[in-house]
Amino acid sequence: MAARAVRAVGSGLTQAAPSTTRRAVLWVPDWPVVAALAQAGLTPDTPAAVLHGRGMIAVSAAARAAGVARGMRKRLAQSRCPQLVILPHDEGRDARAFEAVASAAEQVVAGVEITRPGLLMIPAEGAARFHGSEEALAEALVTAVAEHARCESAVGAADGLLAAIVAARQQVIVSPGASAEFLAPLPVDTLALAATERAQRQAVEELVSVLVRLGIFTLQEFTALPAADVVARFGAVGAWARRMALGEDVAPPVLRRQEDDITVEHAFEEPAERVEQLAFVAEQVAQELDAALLAAGMRCSRVRIVATTDRGDSLERVWRTDVGTRANAFAKHMADRVRWQLEGWLSGTAAGPERAPLTSLAVIAEDVIPLGSEQAYLWGGVSGADDRARRALERIQGLLGLEGVLSAREQGGRSPRDRVQLLAWGQEAQPARRIEHPWPGQIPDPAPATVLPVPAPLQVLDAGGSPVTVDRRLRVSAPPTWVRFEADPRDAVAQAAHRHPSSGHVGGDDGPVWDVPQPVEAWAGPWPVVERWWSEDSSRRAYMQIALRGGGGEARGGEAHGAEGHGGEAHGAEGRGGGRRDVDGRDVDGRGAVAILAAFTGGRWQLEAVYD
Amino acid sequence: MFESSATAREARIAAARAALTEVQARIGAEREGGERTPLPLAESLAELLPGGLRRGSVMSVAGSTSLVLALAGEASKEGSWVAIVGMPQVGIVAAARRGIDLGRLALVPHPGAQAATAAAACVDGMDLVVLGHGLALSDADRRRLGARARERGTVLLAAGPAGATAWPGSRVELVVESSHWSGLGAGDGRLRDRDMVVAVRERGRAVRRVTLRLDGERGVWRPGVRGTVLAEEVA
Repeated sequence: MAARAVRAVGSGLTQAAPSTTRRAVLWVPDWPVVAALAQAGLTPDTPAAVLHGRGMIAVSAAARAAGVARGMRKRLAQSRCPQLVILPHDEGRDARAFEAVASAAEQVVAGVEITRPGLLMIPAEGAARFHGSEEALAEALVTAVAEHARCESAVGAADGLLAAIVAARQQVIVSPGASAEFLAPLPVDTLALAATERAQRQAVEELVSVLVRLGIFTLQEFTALPAADVVARFGAVGAWARRMALGEDVAPPVLRRQEDDITVEHAFEEPAERVEQLAFVAEQVAQELDAALLAAGMRCSRVRIVATTDRGDSLERVWRTDVGTRANAFAKHMADRVRWQLEGWLSGTAAGPERAPLTSLAVIAEDVIPLGSEQAYLWGGVSGADDRARRALERIQGLLGLEGVLSAREQGGRSPRDRVQLLAWGQEAQPARRIEHPWPGQIPDPAPATVLPVPAPLQVLDAGGSPVTVDRRLRVSAPPTWVRFEADPRDAVAQAAHRHPSSGHVGGDDGPVWDVPQPVEAWAGPWPVVERWWSEDSSRRAYMQIALRGGGGEARGGEAHGAEGHGGEAHGAEGRGGGRRDVDGRDVDGRGAVAILAAFTGGRWQLEAVYD
Repeated sequence: MFESSATAREARIAAARAALTEVQARIGAEREGGERTPLPLAESLAELLPGGLRRGSVMSVAGSTSLVLALAGEASKEGSWVAIVGMPQVGIVAAARRGIDLGRLALVPHPGAQAATAAAACVDGMDLVVLGHGLALSDADRRRLGARARERGTVLLAAGPAGATAWPGSRVELVVESSHWSGLGAGDGRLRDRDMVVAVRERGRAVRRVTLRLDGERGVWRPGVRGTVLAEEVA
């Protein structure tokens, strides 16, 4: 990037503390609630709060006046203020809406850094000289934000991050070199203000709680501790907090340089319904975007495709692109993606608003950066192998369609199936469920190597051959002794046994055909999991791990299920009972046990996963 | 004059031999012509395949998806790209626990009728390709894929259920002969450790039986417990 941090060099201002940078901070109070109100179309004086998890994370001024505070539970907040509007938490919305504030501030100052949505860091030195004084700069900033982004803001200036944030909250300008004294009498929990991420904030809050228990209440008392002891006791967080409390900056601000997104739009003369029509337009639009990027000397790392239907719905998807350096590849690459996406919508296979003819199509290059300053890939450097692999995958995607190649990532969840998020290769990932959350009831490790995409039916029987059930109190009716998998449809013996009167059912051959019972060696459970009990798609199930005994009736059902994915194929090749040999003449008996994960739900058993 | 040319020739040969010895000393003399460095393999699996995952080779693994994932794990951790073709049921969490880097993992769950083309494209681009059991591949397709893998230096792992026929022309065939889970009781405990006996059939070698322990606690092969060779027999 061309714009680097403007460091204070020999300007007299920073001689007292050479490691700090003069900064101004623009703070929009209660940003999440301001952004949410604007999106909901409500006026800023509505009593409102943003709810995340179990508590309010931001409260509007009107609600605060009515007695609602941050961190309050929903019920308590509503009892204090019955007309309170509760808005959902959405980090993406906060960040998106804050762009307006950032660009308003950029009309006054050349480069600003978004510390977090709601907080802007501004290099004060040059800008203050330009505007005459820091007071004039602050005034210009507040006016610009009020005019263009239509929200109230507060500006403060000081040396260092923490002092500047506190100064903004108090709307004061701390004279150069006075930041340490300014911070000294403040309580130690002020430190949390300077944390930018949630994880960091938690670490700082822990530090603060320890400090308070040690009898250290102000930043002055904290900085009086010997630096070595602070590091020895609190590690990296302690060192960071000490530098912050002394008004010293950890790093000079990284400036946000405005590069406008490059947009190419196409309006259909008459609404387009056919894929062929779209394919042509997709190619044209992609080439135009490629040309526009080339003309600007830029490349982009993300492309957003927006199509509007004649019902007024808009369909959006973001794609990651890493093809900037390959000549001509970009246009083709993007044309394919536009085409796949539109095909998906028009054919109704992809999720989204109701199918309708398209009226316009826009392709927007986002995260635009100058050519030649490519970012490394997420997983490391740009290497030939990565490029080769990616090209191969794109080729397969061209062959099989968008969902033909998937990338996987781990996410939070309880059952093995829920713990995986699958996305079309190259598609920008939507936020997954957080892994760090506790997920009580999660099936413990080891993770099963085979997870059936769709659970297969299963019979779990007791010693007498009657089905094992789990009741509401998690009582297992009898110890499971036998397990029957669904038989292979091609397995004539199992089909015949199913038809035979001794199988117990009379007339017809409906219902699953069961394979021979497999003896259970050991089992554990049941482990109850009740998910989303408040919603339509609630599930209530009890999991059980069952190890099957190897030997005579070998555990092939699970493996065959695993191999075929949808259960009930390809059992036939293997032996039934003792002494059969497989195709190569090897003895297949005496093969060991597999373990399975079974779930009891709605009165029947399902095979969820196989530990093979 | 003849003598002088003969001595010059001998001197040239000696110089060439010296250069060859030096190169052999530098990169190892055992390597045959055209052979590439094998993909890394977890230390605990070294007993299973003393030669490592030879590039360009085809291996069949029957009876354990965990073993397939473990074989691919170390290579993926070291930067190789892995594709899993035709296995919609593979456990991703298990793959991650075995060391596979999900950022360099691509899944082609249902290639359908295009299986041969998709697998060939994977062989071209990836370092290690796992092929599922139910792929629509003819024997000719399989031979072509094997040849392509040999040419590109890609490792093909053909996974199959216990008792499945091996991939024709596979260099090594790993068959899980028995496995035993521990940690479960009668309604208590949970799955923890797993011991398995794997028969290694290598072309032109005696069949070896190796016991391996899968450590459920950490989900990795326990480094201390190396596989032990139980018995060797002539195939």
